[in-house]
Amino acid sequence: MPNPDDATPLTAGSPLSASLDEAEGVPPAAADTAAPADVRIRLAHRRWFIALRSFAAFIAVWYLMFLWNGNPIQLPSPLRVANAIWQLAIDGELFEHAGISTSRLVVALIVATVVAVPLGFAMGLYRTADKLIDPMVELLRPISGIAWIPLALFIFGVGNVLPVFIMVYVAFFPLLLNTVSGVRNVDPRLVSAARTMGVHGWPLMRQVIVPGALPTIMVGFRLAFAGAWAAVIAAELIGAPSGLGFAIEWYRQLLMSPKVFGFIAIIGVVGYLCDLALRALQRRLTPWAEGTGLS
Amino acid sequence: MTTDAAPAALSGARWTGFLQAMLLPVVFVVAWQLLALTFPPESPAPSPAHVVRTFVDLVTTGGLVQATAQSLGRVVIGFLFALISGVALGALMGSSERVKDNLDPIIESFRPIAPMALLPMAILWFGTGTAPSLFIVAYAAFFPLLLNTIHAVSRVDRKLVLAGMTMGIPRSTILSRIILPAALPGVLLGARLAMGVAWTAIIAAELAVGAKSGVGGTSGGIGQMMFVFYAYSVDLNGIVVCMIVVGVVALLIDRLFRFAEHRLMPWRHR
Repeated sequence: MPNPDDATPLTAGSPLSASLDEAEGVPPAAADTAAPADVRIRLAHRRWFIALRSFAAFIAVWYLMFLWNGNPIQLPSPLRVANAIWQLAIDGELFEHAGISTSRLVVALIVATVVAVPLGFAMGLYRTADKLIDPMVELLRPISGIAWIPLALFIFGVGNVLPVFIMVYVAFFPLLLNTVSGVRNVDPRLVSAARTMGVHGWPLMRQVIVPGALPTIMVGFRLAFAGAWAAVIAAELIGAPSGLGFAIEWYRQLLMSPKVFGFIAIIGVVGYLCDLALRALQRRLTPWAEGTGLS
Repeated sequence: MTTDAAPAALSGARWTGFLQAMLLPVVFVVAWQLLALTFPPESPAPSPAHVVRTFVDLVTTGGLVQATAQSLGRVVIGFLFALISGVALGALMGSSERVKDNLDPIIESFRPIAPMALLPMAILWFGTGTAPSLFIVAYAAFFPLLLNTIHAVSRVDRKLVLAGMTMGIPRSTILSRIILPAALPGVLLGARLAMGVAWTAIIAAELAVGAKSGVGGTSGGIGQMMFVFYAYSVDLNGIVVCMIVVGVVALLIDRLFRFAEHRLMPWRHR
């Protein structure tokens, strides 16, 4: 049975989307703006309070497991981990590795976009291009980026190129497939209407097709990011002399578990912040897109 | 009128389509082989002919089948862990707003942590055998299953549940006869995504466990095989064979789940 505390403040239509949006600071939906301001503030407070309470419980469980396990190398105490993160931040090591990983990520996403999006437009607009290229894409796509690591290690050696290559490969497919489907699913009535009014060629592309396809492309971009972020950790773990993935493995070998946990947390935080930034970008670039958000 | 001409035209179009589809892959393989011919014979660079020969060797004597089976076994076990925990927790979180509100912050803060980031700790916890790979696979597969189950369960038509309650049906029956069938499409979608992620994760885990602990402390799998080819026998053809096998298995897994979706939910044909 729902308790009265829960029943009152939920105003938005779907509980799932409402809770996701609240948690991520999306501007409240239309139904929410109708609610009085103080209710909204109380709702926000309640969410903060619940989140804090959950984290407190989580840390308490962690601490109990630490006491029960009694092996600080396997499971360090939360306090030691917080201290390690603080130390890493003071030393600047944290920002150094995080900066290296994110700059690789940015380079890889730019390269993947420059290659995949034009190709996707060609495949979406011209049937022949699609028929020629699609089989090759479908042959390569099932081979995960991770499986390329040994071969790429031979070709590029340990260094910057390997993680970037793996990320470009991983990011390529969601971007390409979403661009193709975005271009193909542009409302044909809009295209016909524009043609009827004498819009052709480049203006048609710029004014109708690109805006129509952009929401789907942005979803592809976020999928590409998620895949690339998971892949870069694996690639750095195995074949890079720097970066977050390298750092966790390095401190694991030194058995400095608090720093390993610290870097694991940083990986989560950086991934989360990048996703927030991409959501903001998505809203900036495609404010007309409704309901294309992921998850 | 055109009934006679249509099949001929269709098969003609199909032939052109087939030739178009084959064009780029064939050009790729031929170009690769020609390029490989220009290398000196002792070069380790892979070529299509050598890849085929290595593939036959590996299947007959090299234990490729066993390694693939071992990796697949790990994926299935890890996936089952994730399936049980993910669906159970997802059903709970999807049906109760209170549980969801309380657990959501924790789930959402673990989700952006890449599975491979936990591998060093998994090695510390479980050693270098099968266990850390299982842990990584289960962790990777958990999130797609959980999120899709939550989504599917919370979208179950409330009227159906209320109707069931009105008629005094016990809660367990409501769960098994109304909520689960209605949520099945979402759960299966989550399972397909999770299995794809899990297969990628096992390759990464085996590769990295091999890379970080040497060949002595590990126990096979196709990722481990790739690592041995990389670090010990320097056999690029073997690596390419493994890559192709990884791709084919991924494709088969995907097809299997799509087939299951069709069979289990014939009402959802599109």
